[in-house]
Amino acid sequence: MGIKKVGLNRNVKPQTLTEKLFFLDFMKGLKTTIKHLFRRVVTVDFPYEVTIPAIRFRGVHGLRNVDGTEPPDFDSWIKKLKIKPPEKGETRCIACKFCQAACPVPELFTIKAEKLKVPEDHPHHGLKVLAVFDMDLSKCMFCGLCTQACPTDCIIHTDVYDLSSYTRRSWVLHKEDLSRIADDFIARRGKEKFDDHSKWRKDQKIWPEYDYPRTKIWEGWMPSFLPNYKKSQSNGEAEN
Amino acid sequence: MSWISLDKAKGLESKFDYVKLEQSKTGIPYIEVPKEKLIEFLKFLKEDPNYSFKMFIDWTVIDHGQKENPRFQGVLILFSPDHQERVIIKSWATEEKLPSLIELWPGAKWAEREAWDMFGVRYEGHENLVRMFMWEGYPYHPLRKDFPIKGYEEVELPSLNEVERNDQLEGMFNYSRMHTALPTLEDLERTEKIRMPRKKAQVVLNWGPLHPGTHGTIWFLLDLDGEYVQQCDIIIGQLHRGVEKIAENIGYQQFIPYTDRMDYIASINENHAYVVAAEKMLGIHEKIPEKAKWIRTMMAELSRINSHLLWLGTYALDLGALTMFLYTFREREKIMDIFEGITGARFTINYFRIGGVYADLPYGALEAIEHFIEDFPQRLSDYETLLTRNRIWLKRNKDVCVLTQQDVYDYGLTGAVARASGVPYDLRKIDKYDAYGEVDFDIPIGEVGDSYDRYLVRIEEMRQSAKIVKQCINRLREFSEDDPYFFEPEDPKKLKISIDGRGLKLPEGEMYAGTDNPRGELGFYIYNKKAAIKPYRVRIRSGAFYNLQVFTKAIIGRPIADAITLLSTIDPVVGETDR
Ligand code: SF4
Ligand code: SF4
Repeated sequence: MGIKKVGLNRNVKPQTLTEKLFFLDFMKGLKTTIKHLFRRVVTVDFPYEVTIPAIRFRGVHGLRNVDGTEPPDFDSWIKKLKIKPPEKGETRCIACKFCQAACPVPELFTIKAEKLKVPEDHPHHGLKVLAVFDMDLSKCMFCGLCTQACPTDCIIHTDVYDLSSYTRRSWVLHKEDLSRIADDFIARRGKEKFDDHSKWRKDQKIWPEYDYPRTKIWEGWMPSFLPNYKKSQSNGEAEN
Repeated sequence: MSWISLDKAKGLESKFDYVKLEQSKTGIPYIEVPKEKLIEFLKFLKEDPNYSFKMFIDWTVIDHGQKENPRFQGVLILFSPDHQERVIIKSWATEEKLPSLIELWPGAKWAEREAWDMFGVRYEGHENLVRMFMWEGYPYHPLRKDFPIKGYEEVELPSLNEVERNDQLEGMFNYSRMHTALPTLEDLERTEKIRMPRKKAQVVLNWGPLHPGTHGTIWFLLDLDGEYVQQCDIIIGQLHRGVEKIAENIGYQQFIPYTDRMDYIASINENHAYVVAAEKMLGIHEKIPEKAKWIRTMMAELSRINSHLLWLGTYALDLGALTMFLYTFREREKIMDIFEGITGARFTINYFRIGGVYADLPYGALEAIEHFIEDFPQRLSDYETLLTRNRIWLKRNKDVCVLTQQDVYDYGLTGAVARASGVPYDLRKIDKYDAYGEVDFDIPIGEVGDSYDRYLVRIEEMRQSAKIVKQCINRLREFSEDDPYFFEPEDPKKLKISIDGRGLKLPEGEMYAGTDNPRGELGFYIYNKKAAIKPYRVRIRSGAFYNLQVFTKAIIGRPIADAITLLSTIDPVVGETDR
């Protein structure tokens, strides 16, 4: 068992008389602080300067609309749950409540679907649409489990983090709000996060490469966003 | 996990006719002893050189439901430093009473107070059996099975908006005029008085509950003779949220975000402990994909550095060195950036899952970590130049509040506090969970057990962590993009396991497993009566809780200024002590 002994006289030398007399310990300390005095500023000057959240950031939720990038089994889910096939621009939510089932605080969701009121000979007779989808974000932990449970990749996390408000009421987001937030996020950064079937891209970057304020703390350094693993996909064999 | 060998346990059975050896469905042996013989038996276990289970780990209670008689069962976990084994001892609490173990292990004091508070089990022979988290006069014992998770809403406490401005709030969101019980000022006064029934000196100084030096809501009572502390007790519980109760009412993966909120400074490590315990209970811990194991090890060590940096900054700040705080927060910020990029959150991370991690590393992650870790040792030396041999630092730390090896065993101290006292107790070496069996690192060991040693041990731990992270990066690079990061069962019908955790069942039986966290051993004892989607009982063995307990002993006879040093070097976090 590797053991390393530490302690005064073990890995730390006690102060010598010269050090004590000439206050060399303080001098050395001062040298360090002075060295740091000439380093670059690392703090971000919020709010004049803001960092952009990483693409995986778990911020305020959004509900995605149908835009042609649905997962392949989207249609079969719709059939299974007897949902009216959504047009482009309508919500992907099929009211399956998987998100609620996976949520540690299920009572924050209110999800209801209702039957369409159409005559019997209408092709959509007997099918349902999403009527209510409310989320009370004051109870949310932003843990991400709901997004991982959603079969249609409808509910997502966006990079919006600014939730402060004067009333509790404004923390309850309705389905229109959620759709709007998702649309906005997808338009801005959808390509960075999702592939053509709404799955997470394999080549997501740890931070946005255009996020200059963040480089301040890294003293100007920015990763080159190379793949992490040496082996390429073609010859990669599963280990063990 | 190294449990007591079957031979040895059988030896106990033949030596004492009242001892019953059982095997739980998850493969852990446990020993049942009638409570009348408990003390006698434990004395033997503790003192016999063949067993020498002298280190106290945990002492808790299971409630088997109102219909059972006896209803409560005490569960004791001990560790033998000589043989590197653990043992579980159970004893039924007939008439809701158990013998107190404080004669054998003074560390049982708080554990018994907690069990009394939460379950209403009395301990015969306890010196001052008062509540641990709740206030005196609180009428219930909340971890009993018949106590509802929402509590009893019986105090009317309308919002001021409603009273003063006539706002109509009833029926909106989660608003309700009725609340669960709250302590009044008289209750608090009673709580304070009963904690220290006999004053020894002239002044009782209240330190906290809200004081920047306590790093959270801890309330210290220091009985002072001039500047010197004669007696001390700590009132905690202001942050008690009933995490163990929540765990019993929620799915397994769903509980992980709650562990984030225990030790919020090292939330990755909290996730880790729970995940390892649940995996061991499922029997899949060995089969977790290698890639996930290495990612978890790397993240856990980064989190340890992160946590120790916060400790170093605030510790130095408390002792008057403000600059340190600014320096460590700069390095911490980089780790936070890395966490944000990989996991999606900076603080309450929820990245680990039972079965692996929830996503692979994003592009540039290993690069960024490498960049940080290359630079970090240099920064650490800078910190050391400022502190380690500084005369003020030495004066404030050297020989301050010495904890001996005996204290470590008696109080169940773990983590850096134990190691500084010369006990090489480290679960990373003992249990070798995840990839810790394959990485090379040293355990730093202190000499005297004073505050200065605790400081040096943590500094060295950061160096060792950096070393581990480096090895993890090199190993991870050898994987391919397609390697799995989440466990796939051979037969999905038998074991339903998914990243979002719906439908995950844990088998019947019990398991105790933990990890070595920045604040000591965090262990989870999970007990299931039958396979279920919710656990029957989850006991969280918090390292910070037991480490904080020794404060009340180590401060005796020391001047009041040392309280700051001692508290900082013990480094508890209130989210975890209170749970
Ligand atoms: S982020 Fe977590 S807490 Fe919030 S809605 Fe989703 S599952 Fe629930
Ligand atoms: S899981 Fe997705 S599809 Fe199902 S109800 Fe939730 S948001 Fe809608």
